[in-house]
Amino acid sequence: MGSIVVTGMGIISALGAGKESTLRMLMAGERAIAPIRHLQTRHKDLPVGEVPYSDEELRALIGFPDDRIITRTSLLGRVALREAIEDAHLTDTADGKRIAFISGNTVGGMEKSERYYHDFRTNEEHKEYIAMHDCGACTDLIAEEYAGKFSLITTISTACSSAANAIILGADLIRSGQVDMAVVGGTECLSAFHLNGFNTLMILDPQPCRPFDADRHGLNLGEGAAYLVIERAESACERNIKPLCVLSGYGNACDAYHQTATSPNGEGPFLAMRQALEQSGLQPSDIDYINAHGTGTGNNDECEGIAMMRIFGDTVPPVSSTKSYTGHTTSAAGGVESVISILALQHQFIPANIGFQNAIDKHNFRPVDHVLQPAGLQHVLTNSFGFGGNDSSCIFSIPENAAPVVPFPETSPCYIQSVAQISIQQPLCDDWFDMPVPHTQPYNESNDPDYKNHFPPMVARRLGKLLKRAIVTAKQALGETIPEAIITGTGLGCIENTEKFLVSMLENGEEYLQPTYFMQSTHNTISSQVALQLQCHGYNCTYSHRGTSFDSGLLDALTQIRHGRIRNALVGGQEEMTPAYFEMLGKIGYWRNGDISPDALRASDRQGSFSGSCSLNMLLTNQRDGNTLCAIHDMRMLYQPSDEEMRNILQEMLNRAGITLSDVDAVVMGISGDNDNDLVYKDFHQKFCPNIPIVWYKHLFGESFCASAFGLYAGAVCLHRGRIPNHLLYHPAPEIQNPHNILVFNHFKNKDQALTLLSK
Amino acid sequence: MEDLILELKEGIIDVLNLEGMTPADIDENAPLFGEGLGLDSIDALELIVLMDKNYGIKLANAEQGKEIFKSVRVMAEYIQANRTK
Repeated sequence: MGSIVVTGMGIISALGAGKESTLRMLMAGERAIAPIRHLQTRHKDLPVGEVPYSDEELRALIGFPDDRIITRTSLLGRVALREAIEDAHLTDTADGKRIAFISGNTVGGMEKSERYYHDFRTNEEHKEYIAMHDCGACTDLIAEEYAGKFSLITTISTACSSAANAIILGADLIRSGQVDMAVVGGTECLSAFHLNGFNTLMILDPQPCRPFDADRHGLNLGEGAAYLVIERAESACERNIKPLCVLSGYGNACDAYHQTATSPNGEGPFLAMRQALEQSGLQPSDIDYINAHGTGTGNNDECEGIAMMRIFGDTVPPVSSTKSYTGHTTSAAGGVESVISILALQHQFIPANIGFQNAIDKHNFRPVDHVLQPAGLQHVLTNSFGFGGNDSSCIFSIPENAAPVVPFPETSPCYIQSVAQISIQQPLCDDWFDMPVPHTQPYNESNDPDYKNHFPPMVARRLGKLLKRAIVTAKQALGETIPEAIITGTGLGCIENTEKFLVSMLENGEEYLQPTYFMQSTHNTISSQVALQLQCHGYNCTYSHRGTSFDSGLLDALTQIRHGRIRNALVGGQEEMTPAYFEMLGKIGYWRNGDISPDALRASDRQGSFSGSCSLNMLLTNQRDGNTLCAIHDMRMLYQPSDEEMRNILQEMLNRAGITLSDVDAVVMGISGDNDNDLVYKDFHQKFCPNIPIVWYKHLFGESFCASAFGLYAGAVCLHRGRIPNHLLYHPAPEIQNPHNILVFNHFKNKDQALTLLSK
Repeated sequence: MEDLILELKEGIIDVLNLEGMTPADIDENAPLFGEGLGLDSIDALELIVLMDKNYGIKLANAEQGKEIFKSVRVMAEYIQANRTK
């Protein structure tokens, strides 16, 4: 297998829409940090890197229909996606290619939610935006324009490294042969929520930022979106497309130090850069330019510089932070700065680190303070670091100088070794298997253990409920094992503290806001807190893609284990609900009122299911022992597959496992009592496996974005215990003895689908 | 001053979510950070919000907090001298 190449890109930021405008501003050394024009906030005194278009102008730019609603983050994404797709000639030369779309974002539709929250709570106006609030909805709205092109869609939410991790996942899916191409990057618009959040951390510079300067005073928030189209070199060649550059290496590590600060010796950044270099086969001295994370905060710039000195010694290559042009585009930064790095390679220049005057005492280098045009730029390294120490690095190289990407080795098996859950059932055990707890109301809190036994008071006080659940289930699932990767799926993240911050912001007129709540609002807080508690510096990622958030994490873990990258991984599904959010979702038909007995749910005659909090962690390994629950034979994620594609994929799975459909003992499905949802499952059952008994689980664990984690868990426990009890059978029947193979099917709104085959 | 110290201790317990602690558990002369109560940089930010909200004192940067948050007593003295509400 040859190199992974970039064959198209699209960008929008404060530097304007499109590559041309971006390049012109970069080469002119013109920063686009300016007073706020469009964002509604009282903090008009804070300079930002705002995209120079209103929502209406953005709509006009891409001809978005007047009669439809959309969030600004999705609009920005659409602008960048269209440019990337056209740049790579995806619409006319990629027929039959399996293409993934992987987009990062952090606050989803928050910019609309904060504007209409009062309506959400008190009347029927603007309620359509409620369904656009989460990160996955944002991606879905972007992808829609090219829906027929994509075979897999997901959303990464690792705060400010989201887009970089999207690039990494895309490359891994291509290298493992699961897709042929991927469109990868991220998007984020300015919101009062974000601006106030960073403000509570006191890391916003009231002047245009000065990254790496001794007197730097913080960052300027920015906004934007950027995507790359990546594929194998052979694929580009087949399509007769000349690559823009090669993605020659990438790394992801966790600093595991602090929720909002980097460790003094920059451990996470050091590990991410080192991994990227190792993978590329390049020497540090081969790197010709570093596009730094360089936010302009006291902590980041000092520690990032120290990490660079650990890698590059006395000869740190030319460095600049282009956040001095664009502001910090948060989730989009990894995409925006990858595009900028590639423009630098293509046009052989180094953008300036604007505003720099004096070097930081502890640094042995000075960033590039004006635009340089050196000869022979060949390899560029770009850094993206996020809250919670989610640190990632990518290396781009000119096509002529590409070191071949190391292909993934032969596949290893993957097993579910252990699972721990906290839900409405008895916590931290499998008692539900023999003694399920029946439910009586549509909104339920989890049945929590006493956390006083798990956390000292000084630790507990900083952890919201979901964080406590995640850490406790992680520790129980792991036992003595130190995981090589920690991956979490969560559709809403720590919604309780996010809501507290939002409500406080709206009620107090953007004053007196508590940083503790803001810190917990980023979805990756969960994975990074688990890493922090366990001191794990390995791969760390968070998926936030609605009903397939957990499945996305599972796909990532499985890909890495099967291809020998890691030996084990902790994979979690974490979701909580609040009374207010429950009510709002009720407005758009998510929940039913009244009877939620199994028979009422079976009737599927009403809209809505019931809400479950969901916290589950499982340990996946490449080796089985006496305690192993079951094997994961195969897992696929799909986006709006045709019947023929689904049939082929199912057949492929069965073939690889060496079984036929008649060897499958049950199919686990997320039937919930919501008519629209259940019809999709029943349709799948009828079309693809009509004679196989259906196992259901949401009558026990409730509905949530990560409920599918419990489907996999239920299947695994049945295989391990050697029976399927009758309370798990959707159609009343005697229990099934000695099951060997169980299929797990999950879908969200009939768009994103996941199919997993478990075996004894 | 003693009333302010008590009020401040109650405020600290509340905003820092120091569950199970009472004002009597906090020595107003002991360091709040590092040794003593063992608070960290996020707590400092929370205390800055507390000073703003309850006493109308705005700090321009987190560094200033280092001197002010030496102990509850030092903090109370600073508030006494600078409060606007």
